Amino acid sequence: MNLNDELEKFLLTEIAIDFDPDKKSLSPDENLISSGIIDSMGILKLTAFMEKKFGIKIGNEEIIPENFQTLNALTEFVEKKIKK
Amino acid sequence: MDFDFTTEQIELRQNTIKFAQKELNKDILYRDKESSFSKDLWEKCAKFGILGLPFPNEFGGADSDILTTLLVMEGLGYGCKDAGLVFSLNGQMWTVQMPIFNFGTSKQKSKYLPKLCSGEWIGANGMTEPGSGSDSFALSTSAKLKGDYYILNGTKTFITNAPVADLFIVFATTDKTKGFMGVTAFLVEKESPGLKISKEIEKMGLKTSPMAEVIFENCNVPVENRLSKEGNGATVFNDSIEWERSCMLASDIGVMERQLERCIKYAKERRQFNQPIGKFQAISHKIADMKVRLETARLILYKVAWLKKTQDRAGMEAAIAKLYLSESLVKSCLDAIQIHGGYGYTTEYELERDLRDSIGSTLYSGTSEIQKNIIAKYLGL
Repeated sequence: MNLNDELEKFLLTEIAIDFDPDKKSLSPDENLISSGIIDSMGILKLTAFMEKKFGIKIGNEEIIPENFQTLNALTEFVEKKIKK
Repeated sequence: MDFDFTTEQIELRQNTIKFAQKELNKDILYRDKESSFSKDLWEKCAKFGILGLPFPNEFGGADSDILTTLLVMEGLGYGCKDAGLVFSLNGQMWTVQMPIFNFGTSKQKSKYLPKLCSGEWIGANGMTEPGSGSDSFALSTSAKLKGDYYILNGTKTFITNAPVADLFIVFATTDKTKGFMGVTAFLVEKESPGLKISKEIEKMGLKTSPMAEVIFENCNVPVENRLSKEGNGATVFNDSIEWERSCMLASDIGVMERQLERCIKYAKERRQFNQPIGKFQAISHKIADMKVRLETARLILYKVAWLKKTQDRAGMEAAIAKLYLSESLVKSCLDAIQIHGGYGYTTEYELERDLRDSIGSTLYSGTSEIQKNIIAKYLGL
């Protein structure tokens, strides 16, 4: 499973399930924040998952819309962090 | 996890107890009755080093690690009967100083932290609004950028320290379309044009900790006073509230220990039916329960402190600590009153004040119900 798929799976099974239990996929540019899929509690859970799963450290200043608002943005963000 | 404290740490706790017993308890019955905040006692605590404990020397702090800090706060709770004062000190340390330290620019840290650590300035954190409490980020206070200033409009309520504060950390929406990620934090000084403080809010307990509404009417805040990036307010808030939940109740471990010792002494001295009341299981079991709660609460507190020290994030554990310590405190206060019978109900015995002061702990920094929601969320429910 690639990084994008891992993130999508976690978002669907652990985060989006509270928002829409029937949701089966996420489009790459779907806005996860304005749609309400990721809420203020969800972001804590998502951040903890990303750090543990991908072995990265996410700085508090990096938890901004630019890095978290779409699946694409999340994937790019994690890829950059892993490369560093 | 190693909670074997050094001789220096134990001595620091003992010195804190001595300081608090000698300096902070005078007139507490009167100050509680009058809902009177004491700036004099605030300054004494700052001079003793309480406010600066976990912050670096360069900002006037003591550079103590988190476990040492919590041990001192425990001692403060044991020795100081003024829970309102302790609450106000904690509020500033964890929700004003800590976010400035973690998110502030070098200039912001140098400008504000020394004044806050020294007790010269008092800080307050403004998140809650009349229409948003547990649903924190459903806030309506807005901030619009205009030239070199943000213009803030809105009302914040239940703001601890507001009537005496010199500096406010205020959360406002800068972009409504981004939901909770459209929230930004600001450092707002008391003299900012457009900032008004309402009259003090009276409350059941923690009466020596002043509380009020803060109103922003076209309040001008310089761009340089934005705390962290636009849209990073939720992270600033989540980080500071995690610190608050992890550390704020350390003082209540001290309160519970003080109550336990007092109850044991009373149960040995007070005689009914020709024997000390401690010989009755109805009393001794209550005291045993108090001891179990104290020890388990202490371990939960130390664990979350250790996690904050070693791993930084401890969202679920902070919620567990907040929930368990606050609920344990209320139960211990009730047990202490029951053990003391009619005397426990009197103001003179000071146990009823402990109870009134304790209730707030299940409400502020997220109600017990919200803590359970957070724990459940982390468990995948």
